[in-house]
Amino acid sequence: MNHSPRFRLGQSRAHRHGRPPTDTATQSAVDHSATVPEEQAIRPGARLIERQPAAVVGLAVFILIVMAVILAPVLTPYDPYEQELSDRLQLPSAKHLMGTDSLGRDVFARILYGGRFSLVITAIAVLIAATFGTLIGAVAGRRGGLVDELIMRVIDLIISFPSLVVALVIAAMLRPGFWTLVLALVFSAWTPYARLARAVGLEINTRAFIEAAVALGASEWLIFRKHVIPNTLGPILSTAFLRFGHILLIISGLSYLGLGAQPPLSDWGAMLAEAQTYMRRVPTLILAPGMTIFITAFSVTLAGQGLASMFSQSERVSAERMVASRWFRPRTKASAVHGRRRHSRA
Amino acid sequence: MLLPLMLVLASFLIFLVPLLSGTDPSEVILRARIGERELTQETVEQFRHELGLDRPLTLQYVSWLGRLLRGDLGVSYVSRVPVGGILWRGFKITAVLASLSVSLAFAIAIPLGVLAAVNSGRWLDNLISGATQTGVAVPEYWLAPVLVLVFALYLGWLPSAGWRGPLHVILPTLTLALRPIAYFTRLTRTAIIEVLHKDYIRAARARGLTEFQTFWRHALRNSLIPVVTYAAIWLTSLLGGAVIVEVIFAVPGIGRVLYQAVQTTDLPLLQAGLMVLVGLTVVIYTLTDLVYIALNPAISLEKPH
Repeated sequence: MNHSPRFRLGQSRAHRHGRPPTDTATQSAVDHSATVPEEQAIRPGARLIERQPAAVVGLAVFILIVMAVILAPVLTPYDPYEQELSDRLQLPSAKHLMGTDSLGRDVFARILYGGRFSLVITAIAVLIAATFGTLIGAVAGRRGGLVDELIMRVIDLIISFPSLVVALVIAAMLRPGFWTLVLALVFSAWTPYARLARAVGLEINTRAFIEAAVALGASEWLIFRKHVIPNTLGPILSTAFLRFGHILLIISGLSYLGLGAQPPLSDWGAMLAEAQTYMRRVPTLILAPGMTIFITAFSVTLAGQGLASMFSQSERVSAERMVASRWFRPRTKASAVHGRRRHSRA
Repeated sequence: MLLPLMLVLASFLIFLVPLLSGTDPSEVILRARIGERELTQETVEQFRHELGLDRPLTLQYVSWLGRLLRGDLGVSYVSRVPVGGILWRGFKITAVLASLSVSLAFAIAIPLGVLAAVNSGRWLDNLISGATQTGVAVPEYWLAPVLVLVFALYLGWLPSAGWRGPLHVILPTLTLALRPIAYFTRLTRTAIIEVLHKDYIRAARARGLTEFQTFWRHALRNSLIPVVTYAAIWLTSLLGGAVIVEVIFAVPGIGRVLYQAVQTTDLPLLQAGLMVLVGLTVVIYTLTDLVYIALNPAISLEKPH
């Protein structure tokens, strides 16, 4: 799971000592009162709330936001583009729940409809990045050797590009449009998944069931499909949730800088940028989109952390560690070790 | 060994950036310079030749790389000033901003992380951990306007934008510090909790050291290794990552320079800027790896037998 052999050692040692889960400090706010034996997990729903209250709340809030964005026409009678200049720059009232902007457009309606752009593009980018990254990483981990080395170098290379600047460059240089933005986001977003899937692939190579499968004459493709990929899914899913907030912040940042959603389309980042001129008079203009971005990113991250600590019951990887291990992986050594192990088994 | 290879690969990617747009840079520049007047095919051709854009791509790359290696970063299309100077001025400002905010983050995050770790599982820990989780999700382009609104517009204590004196430094530094504070606190907390369960801590306690001595001499130092390493990396990522904050506060740092280069399609400036940032990042990552390996006897460069 971890790229750094040091952490790997440290963690497995901790395991052998049977360290209680609270101490591994997986997710800070989440209370791991969770030394529950497997057979007790009868009512999974209730268990989940007990074990991961923050994650459940996060997921619920995120689902609420997504539902609100989907059901926008039901929730507000206003058109997000309709200008009503006589009602411009109003503070929240019963008529306009979040006030109006400089052109008299209803801010609440604009938040709901603007979320469509932000959330859809983020979801698509995360989906593509996760799929691509997982496949690439799993291949690297399973194949090892030169393929692995090559893929890891490419990842190192991409990581050394500042992701926001790269997104800026791609968004500005290519023809503006939806897929350009997706590309700008995916360019650097796939690497965490690849690293994760690679670690899983490396780990699996050492397992007896793979040896058994090979001995039974399973094709490489079958092993890949039936053993490697399914084993990556848990951690990949939690990472996807954890990264969702990050990608949302980047796309909103691009829109804020005028390179994301292009008028007349608008999203939360673009709303923030428009609002800045008038924020002194109507502070809700920046509060509303800002809070929305924040709550969305926060809730989805909470959900991701809950997932991560659920999936890491056996591995115990914390989000901090995943961030940290990106950098702390001593180059070439880890892969050299694993490569050797694999070949000696083969 | 890997370092030069990475740099060459990066330089090749960066060299290809102008091809992304699919338009002829010489035409873009000419239009920018002469406005709406007629552009003859002849002028464009001549200008292309002048810029060397009519040569084969490989030749262009080799000569670009050659000039780069000799320290010649090129001349800005827009201002026709050598790019090196522009970048250096921006870099100095961003370096100040980045190091100030990382230092601030350190000063706040380590005590907080220690507090949380020592009180692990109790309300103080929950409070601090909750706050750091919140901090990570706050976008800078929201925090910045809110700070401006409160401290510049309502209270009038600080200037809202610009870069003319120490007062102008405060708001951008605060904005940039929030996220590292959150990350470093979590990292410190996790590292300390992990270290506190090591055998050598138990050994130290068994030897009769007081709780304070154990903590100060053994736990804290060992747990700060990952935090310090991470801070070095954060510093590099801030160099390129401060774009939005620099744009908001009109700080003429390297991020804003790059942003303007993107907007004006100033390719030499953009390419050189990217190259500088990526080069710095690659070098610092490598150094950090080495430092990390040096600090940690559990990892060695020798191949295992």
